[in-house]
Amino acid sequence: MNRRLDVIGLLFGAGFGFVLGAARLHEYETIHRMLRFDEFDVFLLMGAAIATSLPLLWWLERRGSTTMFAGPLRLSRSKPQRHHVVGGVLFGAGWALAGTCPAPALVMLASGAGLAVVAIAGLFIGLHLRDRQVHTVTHGDGEHRELETQPVFAKS
Amino acid sequence: MNVLPDRLAWYIAGPALGLLVVGLFLIANQPLGASGAYVQTARLMRRHADTVRWRAWYFVGIFAGGAVALVLGTGIEVRSGYDSLVDQFSLPVATVIVFVGAIVMGYGARMAGGCTSGHGICGTAQRSAASWVATATFMASGVAVTFLLRLATGGDL
Repeated sequence: MNRRLDVIGLLFGAGFGFVLGAARLHEYETIHRMLRFDEFDVFLLMGAAIATSLPLLWWLERRGSTTMFAGPLRLSRSKPQRHHVVGGVLFGAGWALAGTCPAPALVMLASGAGLAVVAIAGLFIGLHLRDRQVHTVTHGDGEHRELETQPVFAKS
Repeated sequence: MNVLPDRLAWYIAGPALGLLVVGLFLIANQPLGASGAYVQTARLMRRHADTVRWRAWYFVGIFAGGAVALVLGTGIEVRSGYDSLVDQFSLPVATVIVFVGAIVMGYGARMAGGCTSGHGICGTAQRSAASWVATATFMASGVAVTFLLRLATGGDL
């Protein structure tokens, strides 16, 4: 069971990394040009990803789909709070300075970019600094979450 | 090897990413996020009792999948990866900017409860108001800070 999840994790990670690398989202220049509004490809890419997944998830939720390993499909929806805004401002500022974000930084390292090591180290440090403060089980809608329906997720 | 185009078009890469998002929800009820994978990988390395191991494999997968895309595409090349930033300042200054930026980004991602993929794609696709707010906020903040960088460098960066 856990083995199978490990393989699924590896495969989905690989698919994600492959798309990021193929679309060149790992390049500092791509992100910098996007935030400078020199090109809109990344905005369009994100929009297309949402336009594909949002209606599908909505439909799957409505028809009461069951997931393979974790019981009924359960989407997570939270009300906006202060920490979403403050965290978002910090995240955006760091994004602009480092010109990469968590997943593309790993692909950047794979591409041979030396400074990706610095970015990844900084990400680990920053995430850990905050994780230490909020060690209670608080999970955002974009983060890994523990589900009561499937105790296998709580511990490996 | 150049089997892949130099850059996969957004209208192919975007929907492909969207299908991966739907796939991971349908298999494991989990978002295709990235910041959480860092948290779990760090916990695994510290032998923390409360660790989700498959997220560490997922973390490795992102690196490996990216490497495959680059080998099949434009190739792997040792370099700084930050040409325009290094040209504008210098390698040591660019290193500090990237390091500080990444720390702030990591801190903010954990605080907001997700990053570009977690909130920006998976959260918005779940129709989470919190994710839409977080995404709009980091987009605006990223654009604003980039604009300030441009001002500070006289439009060069």
